[in-house]
Amino acid sequence: MKLLAAGKRLRSPRRYAALGLMMVPGLLYLLINNYLPMFGVIIAFKDFNYTKGIFGSDWIGFKNFEYLFKTSDALLITRNTILYNAAFICLNLIVPTGVAIMLNEVRKRWLSRMYQTVILLPYLISMVIVGYLVYAMLSADTGFLGRTILPMLGLPDISWYSEPRYWPYILTAVHIWISAGSLSVIYLASIIGIDPEYYEAAMIDGAGKWQQIRRITIPLLAPVITIMTLLQIGRIFYSDFGLFYQVPLNAGALQSTTNVIDTYVYRALMTLGDVGMSSAAGVYQSLVGFVLVLVSNFVVRKLNKDHALF
Amino acid sequence: MKTNNSIGQWFVHLVLLVISACCLLPFLLLFITSITDEQSIIRHGYSFFPETFSLAAYQYLWHDIGRILHAYGITIAITLIGTAAGLIITALLAYPLSRKDMPLGRFWSFVVFFTMLLNGGLVPQYLVYTQLFELKNTLLGLIVPGLLMNAFYVMMMRTFFATSIPFPVIESANIDGAGEFRTFVQIVLPLSMPILATVGLFQTIHYWNDWFNGMLYITDSKLFSLQNLLNRILLDFDFLTSSNFAGGNAAELTDVPRETVRMAMAVIGIVPILIAYPFFQRYFVKGLTIGAIKG
Amino acid sequence: MLKKRNAAQAGLAVLLASGMLLAGCGANNADGSNNAGGANNAANENTAGNAQNADGSSSSNAATASAPSASDLKPYELKIAFWGDDQKDLPEVEEAMNNILKAKINATIKVMPIARSQWAQQSNLMLTSGEKMDLIIGSTLTNFPSQAANGVYAPLDDLLAKYGSDIQAVVTPAQLSTAKVNGQLYAVPTIKDMAQYYGIMMRKDLVDKYHIDVTKIKTLDDLTAVFQTIKGNEPDVTPLVAKNPGTSPFYAGYLPFDPLGGSIGVLPDYDNGLKVADWYETPQYAAELDLMHGWYQAGYLPKDAATSKQSGNELLKAGKAFAILGNLKPGSDAEASRVVGQEMVSARLTADHATSDMINNSMWAIPKSSGDPDRAMMLMNLLYSDKELFNLLAWGIEGKDYVKKSDNVIDFPEGIDITNVGYNFNLSYLFGNQFLSYNWAAEDPDIWKKIDAFNKNATPSKALGFTFDVTNVKTEIAAASNVVNEFSIGLETGTLDPKEVLPKFIAKLKAAGADKIVAEKQKQLDEWAKTQQ
Repeated sequence: MKLLAAGKRLRSPRRYAALGLMMVPGLLYLLINNYLPMFGVIIAFKDFNYTKGIFGSDWIGFKNFEYLFKTSDALLITRNTILYNAAFICLNLIVPTGVAIMLNEVRKRWLSRMYQTVILLPYLISMVIVGYLVYAMLSADTGFLGRTILPMLGLPDISWYSEPRYWPYILTAVHIWISAGSLSVIYLASIIGIDPEYYEAAMIDGAGKWQQIRRITIPLLAPVITIMTLLQIGRIFYSDFGLFYQVPLNAGALQSTTNVIDTYVYRALMTLGDVGMSSAAGVYQSLVGFVLVLVSNFVVRKLNKDHALF
Repeated sequence: MKTNNSIGQWFVHLVLLVISACCLLPFLLLFITSITDEQSIIRHGYSFFPETFSLAAYQYLWHDIGRILHAYGITIAITLIGTAAGLIITALLAYPLSRKDMPLGRFWSFVVFFTMLLNGGLVPQYLVYTQLFELKNTLLGLIVPGLLMNAFYVMMMRTFFATSIPFPVIESANIDGAGEFRTFVQIVLPLSMPILATVGLFQTIHYWNDWFNGMLYITDSKLFSLQNLLNRILLDFDFLTSSNFAGGNAAELTDVPRETVRMAMAVIGIVPILIAYPFFQRYFVKGLTIGAIKG
Repeated sequence: MLKKRNAAQAGLAVLLASGMLLAGCGANNADGSNNAGGANNAANENTAGNAQNADGSSSSNAATASAPSASDLKPYELKIAFWGDDQKDLPEVEEAMNNILKAKINATIKVMPIARSQWAQQSNLMLTSGEKMDLIIGSTLTNFPSQAANGVYAPLDDLLAKYGSDIQAVVTPAQLSTAKVNGQLYAVPTIKDMAQYYGIMMRKDLVDKYHIDVTKIKTLDDLTAVFQTIKGNEPDVTPLVAKNPGTSPFYAGYLPFDPLGGSIGVLPDYDNGLKVADWYETPQYAAELDLMHGWYQAGYLPKDAATSKQSGNELLKAGKAFAILGNLKPGSDAEASRVVGQEMVSARLTADHATSDMINNSMWAIPKSSGDPDRAMMLMNLLYSDKELFNLLAWGIEGKDYVKKSDNVIDFPEGIDITNVGYNFNLSYLFGNQFLSYNWAAEDPDIWKKIDAFNKNATPSKALGFTFDVTNVKTEIAAASNVVNEFSIGLETGTLDPKEVLPKFIAKLKAAGADKIVAEKQKQLDEWAKTQQ
C-alpha cells in the first residue's frame, strides 16, 4: 500500500521537472555546439557563394556528391573503410574487455595501477609521433625491424612502404595498440562498479574465478560493451584520419589498402578547399552511419530492451 | 583451488607484462630519441642505444621557457575549468537519461546521440562561436567549442548509471523523502566514482592535448595553450629550415635538432598527464557499496 | 604540379570542415611549410618602374595628389593578415608603425600573423564568416581565382586609380594582369623574385674532389655520369635526394612548364602554341620517369624517398647526400651554402622563365568585409613605397631586432641570432615591395638589382597573365587529386617501373576526368588569349 502511494508520488510531474531541469545545461550546450551549426548541412546541396551567403546560394542538387562516386576508387574506399572498421569493432570487443578483466584480477594494487598507467601511454601520443615510431620500426635504411629483428630470424628485409598487402595488419595492430588502453580503462570502471555482493554470493555457491567472470562479470559488462559497439557502428563510415594518413606516411603506393573515405576526401579537396564538397562527404558518412545505427539499435532492442541506445 | 588461483595470477601478470612492454617500449624509444644527438639519427635512424646523447632538443626548448611556462598555465587553467564544468553537465544530463521512468527518455537519448552522427561542419560552427557568441581570443574559446561535453561520454555515463545503480535504491531514497537532486548528489554520484574518474580522465586528456580550438579561435599569443605553442614552434621551425633565410645566419637553423625537438615536445606534453593519472586512479576503487547505503 | 606544394595546407581546411578532427597537427608541415617558400618566384615583364625601385629609392612620399590628407580622415584601425610566425616584439613594432600611419593616413594597424600550416584554413574561415579584415594575402596556391569569382574580395581598379599611384609606379600592368579575374583586378602582386630557372645544386667539396666540370652539365641526362662518379667513389653518399621530405626530387626542383594555375593541364616549354597538355601524358614526362627509374636502379636515389623524413638540406649537411634539384634565382648558391653550412655550387638546367603562378602566389587583397577599403588601399600603397614602414614590418625595430652596418645594410645585434631574435618575419617578399628591404650583411649588397634584372630578362611564358578558375571542373580535380597522389611519387622517385605503371596512371587519370580539366583550361585560355590581342 505504502509502495503504491510512493509509486504515485514518484511519477508526479514535479519530480520529473527536477530531472528535466538537470538536463538543461547539457541540452543547451548540444543546441549551441551541435544543432545550431547543423544548418551547415544545406551547404552540401548548394553552390556556395560568399556574396550570396549560405542561404542565398543556388541549390545544385547532388553535384557536390559526384566526386565521391566518380572513379573506381569509390568502391575501394568504401570497402576499405567498412572492412577496417569491422575489424576494429570486433577487436575492440575482445581485447580491451580481456585486458580490463585481467586488470581487475591483479591483486597487488600498485601493480594494477602501474599496468593501467602504462597501457594508456599509446593513447597519449599524437598520431604524427606514432607515424614516426612506426617508421622507426619499418624504414628501409634505418628501421629496427629490418636491421635487427628480421635478420635475427633469418628473414629478408621487406620494403614495407611500397607493399600494400602488409598494411591492413600493420594499421589494425597500431589501432589496437592505441585504443586498447583507453577502452579497457572504461570497461574497468564498469567492472569496478559491479556490486561485490554478486561475487560474494557466487563464492558461497562455490564458483571459481573463471565461473565468476563468465557468469557475473561478462553479463554485467554486456550493456556497456553493447553501447560502445553501437556507437562505433554509427561511425562506421568515418575513420581515424591520423591513423590512415600519418601512419602510412601518405605513401601513394599503399593507397590500395590504406585509402579510406576520410583520406580520399582530404586528398580530393586539398587543392580545392571547397566547403560544399566537404560538407557533402560529411552528409554521406552520417547518412550511412545513421541507417546502420537505426538497424542495429532495432536488433538490440529486440534482444534486450535495456541495452539499446534509445 | 589455491594453486589453481596462483597459476591464474601468474598468467594474468605474464599477459599484462607483455602488453605493458608493447606500450612502454615505443614510449621509451620516444624519450631516448629526444635525448639523442640529431646527427646520429640522420645517420643511423632511431635507436634504443644511440651513439651520442645530447640534450640539445631540451636546450632549444629552454630558450622559450618563459612562453612555455605561460602556455602551461593556460593549459592547466582550461583543463581544470573545462574538466570540472564538463563533468558536471555530462553527469547532470546522463542521469535523467538513465532513468527508465523518465518521460520522453528515449527521445532525449536520441537527441544526444544524433549529435554524434551528423556534423554541421566547421564553417557553421565557427560562425556560431565567433559571430553569435564572440568567443574569438577568449579563454572560453579554448574551453567551450567541441570539448566541453561529448555525446559519447553522456551515453557511457548513462549506461553506467543504468546498470550499476539499481533502481530500487533510488526509489527507496525517494520514498525516504529525498528530492531528485539530493538523491543524485548524495547517492548516485558517490556510487559512480569509477565512471566519473574515467570521464574526467578523458576530458583532462582531451583538454590537455587540444590544439584545434587554439588554432581556430586564438590568434593572440598571450592565450596560446601548450599544444598550440609547441605546434607553432615546430611548424614555424620546419618552415624556416626549408626556406632560405635572407639574413646571414641561417646555418644556425639547420643546427636546431628538428626531429629530437619534436620528440622532446611530445615528452613534455605527456609527462604532466602521467603525473596527474594517479589522482584519477584513486577513484578507481570500489566506491561505497550499495549495501553500505542500504544499511 | 606546382599546386602540390600547398595542397596539404588548403586541404587542412577541408579535413576540418568535414569533421575529421583527429588529424595530427604536424600533418602538413612538410608540404605546407613550403607554400611560402614557393612564393620566392614570380614573373617578369617589368617595364619602367622597377629599375629605380630596385635600389629602394623610389617615391617614399606617402599618398598621392588625389588622396586626402591625414587630418581629414577619421581614426581607423586597419587589420592585416598574412602567413607568418608569432613575433615577441610585435606590440612595439605595431606602436612604431602607428606613429608613421597616424601622421600619413590617420590610422593604426593590427597585425595578424597566422601560422603557415594553418593559413589556408584560417584565411578561408575568416573570409567565409565575413570577419572584419582590411588587407589579406591572397594566393593562387589557395584558390585565389575561385575566391575572387565568388565575391570574397573587393574589386580594386577604382581604388588603385585613386590611391595607388605608388603601386602603379612599381608594379607593371603585366604583373597586375595575373591578379585579374573576369577582367577585374582583385589584388596586387608583391614585388619579389618573379621568375626562376631550374638547376642542380651540388656539394662543392665533392665536385672538386672528383673534378666534375660543372659547366658541362646542361640537361638532366648529363647528370647520369656525375652521379655515377659519386656513387662509385662515395658509397655512403646518395647522389640525388629530394628537396623536401616525402616528395620527389622534381617537386619544387624541376618542373619545366607553365602550370597554368595548377592541377592537370600545363603549357609545356612555356609556349606550346598555347595548347594545354596533360603533363603526365607528354613524352617529356615519360622520358624523365625512365631516367629516374634508371637512376633508382643504379642506386643514385634513396631507397625510401617517398617516406623520407629529412629535408634535402639536412641530408646534405649530414654528409649523406650529394645534390638536390631546385628552383633557382640569382644568389641561390650563396644562400644554399649558408643553409647547408658548406660551399654549394649549382648548374643550370633550364632558361629563366616567368609564369603567372610565380607572380600571383603572393598578393595583397582587400576583403569585402573591410570597414574602409579606401584606407586599406592607402596602407597598401605605403607598403609599396614607404621604406621605413616596410622595414619596420619586415625586420622590426632598429637597435633591438637588428643593427645598421651602413645605410642599407643590417645585421643582428651582438648575441642575437635568428633563433632568439624578438622580431623577424623573414618574409620580406611578402610585405609589398621587397626592393625596399634593407640588405643583410651576409647578402649580396646588389641582390635587388640582380633580382630586378633577372625578373626583367626572364622569358615570359606565353600564357603569362592567365588565371584559371576551377569552378566548372571541381569534381574532376577532386577525383584526379587522389590518382596523382597514388602514382606520381612512386614514379617520380624512380621506385615504380614507368613501363608498367605509367599507362595505368594515365588511364586512371582519364577515368577521373583529366581530359575534361584540360579542355576547360584550354577553353579559358583561348578566351583569355582573345583579350590579349
